[in-house]
Amino acid sequence: MKIQVNARNRAYHFQAHDKEQMLFAGLRSGVDLPYECSTGTCGSCKARLIDGKIYDPWPEAPGHKYCKNELNEFLMCQCVARADCTVEVGNFVYTMDPGACLPRSFFGVIRATRMLTPDVMHLEIELDNPQNFDAGQFVVMEAPGVTGFRGYSMVNFERDAKKLEFVVKKKPGGGLSQWLFDSGSIAGRPVDLCGPLGHATFFPNVKKNILCIAGGSGIAGIISILARASQEQYFNEYRGYVFFGVRTAKDSFFLDELEGFVRQFPERLQVTVVFSEEDAPASLKQAHPDLLFGTGFVHDVAAQAMDGKYQNIRAYLAGPTPVVDTALRTLIVKGKLTTDNIRYDKFS
Amino acid sequence: MSKRRVCSLEEVPENGMRTFEAEGGLRVLIAHSGEDYFAYQPVCPHQDVELEEGMYDGCVLTCHMHLWQWDIRTGAPMGSAEAPLVYYDVKTEDGSLYIVPPNALRMAELFDGVSEQTLEKIIALARSESFEQGSALYKIGDPVEDFYVLETGRVNFAVGREERIRAAGFMLRKGEVFGWAALLENQPQRIASATCLEKSSLLAINGKQTLKMLESVPADGFIVMRRLSSLITKHLIGSGAE
Repeated sequence: MKIQVNARNRAYHFQAHDKEQMLFAGLRSGVDLPYECSTGTCGSCKARLIDGKIYDPWPEAPGHKYCKNELNEFLMCQCVARADCTVEVGNFVYTMDPGACLPRSFFGVIRATRMLTPDVMHLEIELDNPQNFDAGQFVVMEAPGVTGFRGYSMVNFERDAKKLEFVVKKKPGGGLSQWLFDSGSIAGRPVDLCGPLGHATFFPNVKKNILCIAGGSGIAGIISILARASQEQYFNEYRGYVFFGVRTAKDSFFLDELEGFVRQFPERLQVTVVFSEEDAPASLKQAHPDLLFGTGFVHDVAAQAMDGKYQNIRAYLAGPTPVVDTALRTLIVKGKLTTDNIRYDKFS
Repeated sequence: MSKRRVCSLEEVPENGMRTFEAEGGLRVLIAHSGEDYFAYQPVCPHQDVELEEGMYDGCVLTCHMHLWQWDIRTGAPMGSAEAPLVYYDVKTEDGSLYIVPPNALRMAELFDGVSEQTLEKIIALARSESFEQGSALYKIGDPVEDFYVLETGRVNFAVGREERIRAAGFMLRKGEVFGWAALLENQPQRIASATCLEKSSLLAINGKQTLKMLESVPADGFIVMRRLSSLITKHLIGSGAE
């Protein structure tokens, strides 16, 4: 199918395969169409059908509340062209930067799973072909027999990655999450993936101090950012402040990994683990002498610790929407950070 | 539209903001900052999100959805914002707040930063014109005389001839400038076609007269040329990359 996208500044043309969502067809072709979650929730990829025919496999998607039916508006991340289409987006759209990792569809096989807490799983997926991505990006995943893609951030960071690692939180009634947790042994099962996606990326040439605020499984992308930064010896020159919030000590994970990063760069990198429902147990503090601990909401603890340290900061936010939203308000209103120095992807 | 009453001054939170319905049903966002009041469109120009739900610290307004930001004193976009806010002139009388819509030229990015005197001279050159839905403003190859500032409506562009015609973007915000070939040298013909997709009202301004006037105020002329080059870049960047 031929797709024409009329943007504010010009028109773009690309091909979409059968069953391929219009957003992914455009991104694959190097057209940087607007999106955030890419899984039907945020409404950022809203477009208007001018001509042609589309199929919407998920008319109940929450992102539909941003679409006006009388204007033929639809979500590009969900809809598939059933004929040649002309659509319109109300944004300036440019081609992707040369060197950007263009998203594509690919296959993977689940190789290993490990429980990090009673309701958080570490997932390793082996890929059919090596895949490149930038630190902080995510892919969308679909399992056979489970309808709908879900977005998960990569935990690892390497070039030509042959496996991707993820953190998955158990969500009752969440299609894919439930399948991963409840299907018994899932090692060896194939999954469909599409990516890499997302704008919350870290590059060493940003040359700023890094502030990361993550809630729960949102720490995944932050670990990837810390991995990239460590590989580049970034914290020999710039500071890193990481705040990782969970409810209780029992819900915490990756503390060894986080402490490992701090031990490599003890002078400039600090990681604070924040529990919203209890003080950190003494035994946990003893086991992790190089981590800091705090009590309260992660954005409050971060705001207190960061007071007076917001100069030359690039912030990364990740986690459940309420965590990201409150952290955003804190950084903008209290920290006076400009929005081009705040990166986040909302897809949980 | 003439002066409309919006609210009493007490109803506006101190260094805060609130959306009101003005006389005649027009919705408007009123923000208080220090000693002053400002009036803007109530929804984000990006994706119809209510700005009242956003963040405001008394100086900078941020839409919570995609973090577009504006300077509350001017409505000028900051950071990643792609468009200014449509503003209204504010008058306060006897404890009440009134709004008056400004000339679209005052919203045009092209003239952002030029002196009031120069702006008045450009406004004096502008002719108000209305077009029905479907009217062609100009076609490729037409002689170039005027450039345009959009007041209301929507204008589509196309380039190429006959079967090779392709879409080249559209204008839909008050204060957007197009037909800027009229401000370029050695560009006697239109390189795109412009069609009103909706009933539209525009300000038409003669390019040669504008250039001549700007030559007499080189500092303002330089600002306009800088803005013009940014504008052209914004529209043309990446257009060879298909």
